Amino acid sequence: MPGNVSEPQVLLPTTVVGSYPVPEWLGRLKTEYYQRRISAQHLGEIHDVVIKAAIKDQELAGIDIVSDGELRRDNDIGYFLARIPGIHIPQRAKADYYDYYDAEVTRPLPEEDGASLGLAADFAFTRQQTHRPVKFSFTGPFSLSRRIRDSAYPSTGGLVRALARRLNAEARSLARAGATLLQIDEPFLAGYREHAGLAIEAVNIVTDGVGVTWALHVCYGNRYARPSWEGHYDFLFPAVKAAHVDQLVLEFARKGLDDLRLLREHSWDRSLGLGVIDVKSAQVETPGLVASRIRRALGYVPAERLMINPDCGLRHLPPEIARQKLRAMVAGTALVRAEITRPPGGGRGSGTRRLPAAAARSGPGAGTGSPGDGTGAAPAAAAPPGEPAAPPARRPAARARASQHA
Amino acid sequence: MEIEVRAVAKLRESPAAQAVLSPIVEALCSSPADLSRLRVVCDWIQYRSNFREPVTCRPVLAAVPPAGPPGSPPAESPPGSAGESCLEVAVDLRRLAGADAAALVASALAARAGAGGGGGRERPSPAQIMLEPWVPGRMSCIWRFNTLYWQALSHWEKATGREYEQALPGGESDARNAGAARELILELFSIWDDLAARRALPGELYVLEIGVGNGSQARTWLDAFAELDRSHGRDYYRRLHYLMGDYSAHVLERARQAVAHHGGHVSALVLEATRPAVTLGFLAGKTFLVYMSNVYDNLPTDEVACIHGRMYRVEVRAFIRAGDAERIAGRFGTTAGQLCSLTDRLLRIGPELMSESLPQHFADTGQAVSFWQEVWDAIRLAERYVPLEGLDTYRVAPSLTGEILRPLLEAEGDVRMHVSNGALSSFAGTLPLLHPFGRVVCHDLFLTGRHQYRTGFCGPGKYDGSVVNWVNGPLLQLLASRRGFGVQFSPFRQRPSANVKTLTAQVRD
Repeated sequence: MPGNVSEPQVLLPTTVVGSYPVPEWLGRLKTEYYQRRISAQHLGEIHDVVIKAAIKDQELAGIDIVSDGELRRDNDIGYFLARIPGIHIPQRAKADYYDYYDAEVTRPLPEEDGASLGLAADFAFTRQQTHRPVKFSFTGPFSLSRRIRDSAYPSTGGLVRALARRLNAEARSLARAGATLLQIDEPFLAGYREHAGLAIEAVNIVTDGVGVTWALHVCYGNRYARPSWEGHYDFLFPAVKAAHVDQLVLEFARKGLDDLRLLREHSWDRSLGLGVIDVKSAQVETPGLVASRIRRALGYVPAERLMINPDCGLRHLPPEIARQKLRAMVAGTALVRAEITRPPGGGRGSGTRRLPAAAARSGPGAGTGSPGDGTGAAPAAAAPPGEPAAPPARRPAARARASQHA
Repeated sequence: MEIEVRAVAKLRESPAAQAVLSPIVEALCSSPADLSRLRVVCDWIQYRSNFREPVTCRPVLAAVPPAGPPGSPPAESPPGSAGESCLEVAVDLRRLAGADAAALVASALAARAGAGGGGGRERPSPAQIMLEPWVPGRMSCIWRFNTLYWQALSHWEKATGREYEQALPGGESDARNAGAARELILELFSIWDDLAARRALPGELYVLEIGVGNGSQARTWLDAFAELDRSHGRDYYRRLHYLMGDYSAHVLERARQAVAHHGGHVSALVLEATRPAVTLGFLAGKTFLVYMSNVYDNLPTDEVACIHGRMYRVEVRAFIRAGDAERIAGRFGTTAGQLCSLTDRLLRIGPELMSESLPQHFADTGQAVSFWQEVWDAIRLAERYVPLEGLDTYRVAPSLTGEILRPLLEAEGDVRMHVSNGALSSFAGTLPLLHPFGRVVCHDLFLTGRHQYRTGFCGPGKYDGSVVNWVNGPLLQLLASRRGFGVQFSPFRQRPSANVKTLTAQVRD
């Protein structure tokens, strides 16, 4: 039954970064709410339905670790700011749901007041809908701080740390609710490279004492399907090495794989969430292209430490394109898995390492490579969608690292 | 009956305009028209050359007319009590001032009744030679004339003896302003310096101008750039690529000559302004400045209206008055009945081939151009309102449905406004070309507030051989907002009192 789930047990597990497509009709309904034309209860019920659908989509695509698609959120910032005590938002009605609030802090944020942002309830709902492992993401303190006018703290760091402490309390609630994989998103960090040290310090405040697998996602922005910044990931290093996280989730599909060298140069010894799907393009990648990106990444990060995901959230893609992209990602990953586990002399079914069914599972269309790309192999053993993953071959435990940091 | 006077300023300023209202009301009261289903709108059409008669009747249809068999023109609407929810009488106060307004209104109503306004199927008026069936505004043949103007501009200019810029108000394009250019360039330098410091400055620095005119803007800008770069000392000129795009190869060649001294820094591309990505897809996310001047006001547009809370699309039908048709036909040795097919042929093949293929009518290209000019001068547009059943079913631009209009239509109550389809399509296709720190700068005839549709006439008008419509600025602003860009309008620096405004769009948030 849903809710009774363990860690993903596959090599090269596929996952999402967080957000899922918001179709135009859903956007309109959300806007109706922010213009006070439908009630919060009605919108909440709508969200329940679309989250179930998003999870089902991911399961059908064969994604190993699913998310709620962040579909309850107006955007990556407002959902949190509106819930954090002490943040003043003078105007909560919006012309469009996706707009950012104008938010300000005039006094230091209250702390240890027991207030909840409600993320644990969001997670609990998602947990109930699927057998699969769930990734739950939230925006990090540094990026949240970038959208707040601050007249309360003498320096940028004061507000960032206060936000981090609030998020730490929320992370503890999430862990108590059963979350095992939490992801901190820092979409603004690439625009403020000089603050990388502060952002990492804040990440460590968030993760402190929370014994889950932690991922940190840093991208170049995905507002309206456009990058907000340009550049290279060099600004992350070496600061990020001090982050108490188990995975670094980065975008590579849109920007190319050149920055993989940074992982080797800086001896990154934890997992990498490899972005293999360009979420800013409606062109669907072939499984072959996905596989080629993974193969190249394997030159820098061993398979045991590689997670496969899109560059960023899928929010701005048309739903059908997003589904196709996820299927291509799963199929491309399956190709590489098969190569890795194939015995030296080749031969079907005689691998030295048995892939669990979940790893081989692929949704409709998965494994059907595009004509001419030579990647048409389909996984042999496909389990029905929604069925629990069978026999676990343990992935190296990121949890151990989380515990170490805890 | 309701009377809407949009020309509010002129009404205050002009006793002649005020004097017209009373005779109009008297004429309407004397007519057999059902006054409870009559609305009168009064404009002041500032374009001396335009597509309107001084008084026009526009039926407001109760239902979408049934489509005819495939390939056939749309069925005529059944006007009058059965098919019309009401009738709009549109008045040009400027032209009625001093005229016998009552007689003109009575005549227009009588003609409407004669065309079938009593309830039967509409009959073609013998007083008008129709050039097309009812179509949405952007599909009208007036836009084919507009296209022909830019494609065969050299022939038109030869016939008129003046360059197209001289036909513009003030006699020149709005594109020359060295001071504004220097300001923009220095802002770019500042952005580039910052990006360079973060190792995020691309190797090639793209600037794009769409609609280059005679190249004067490009020349002003590039000359200023080269000079400022020398003093700035960062060698940005070496990395600069200035791309000039224009629909007219003739204009583009003229522009290319104007900037020839900048050599390889400039490329010229023939492009369709409404679909920039088709030609310029390689610039996606790379362009630091997109510059446009008086392009959007010259792109096809529909109009939509909200009347009594219901949404309508304005359909038009180009025609020539029978008297004008007889005169033109007589001059070129043809008949009024053949005018429609001759015009269609002209729009398909242009004046040069027209004279080659029909020497009996047009002895040389100049004769064909004369025909073109006379027909253009004589063209008028009839209008009607057709219900818009669902905004999402109305394709505004390739990537946009009519839903984009909803906030404006819902906020304004009863209003008629331009959709600016071509401008929207162009703008939507241009924004993705911008670098995250790029911007669009556009000088054009923008409405900057929704209320302006209630207080003035916004086109269409005729500018020499081309069409001009004011651009729906709030709609562009809304589109940009939905794509993460902020849009600001400011007075045109070179002539702050001009109708031309400057739009600046850049990434919000």
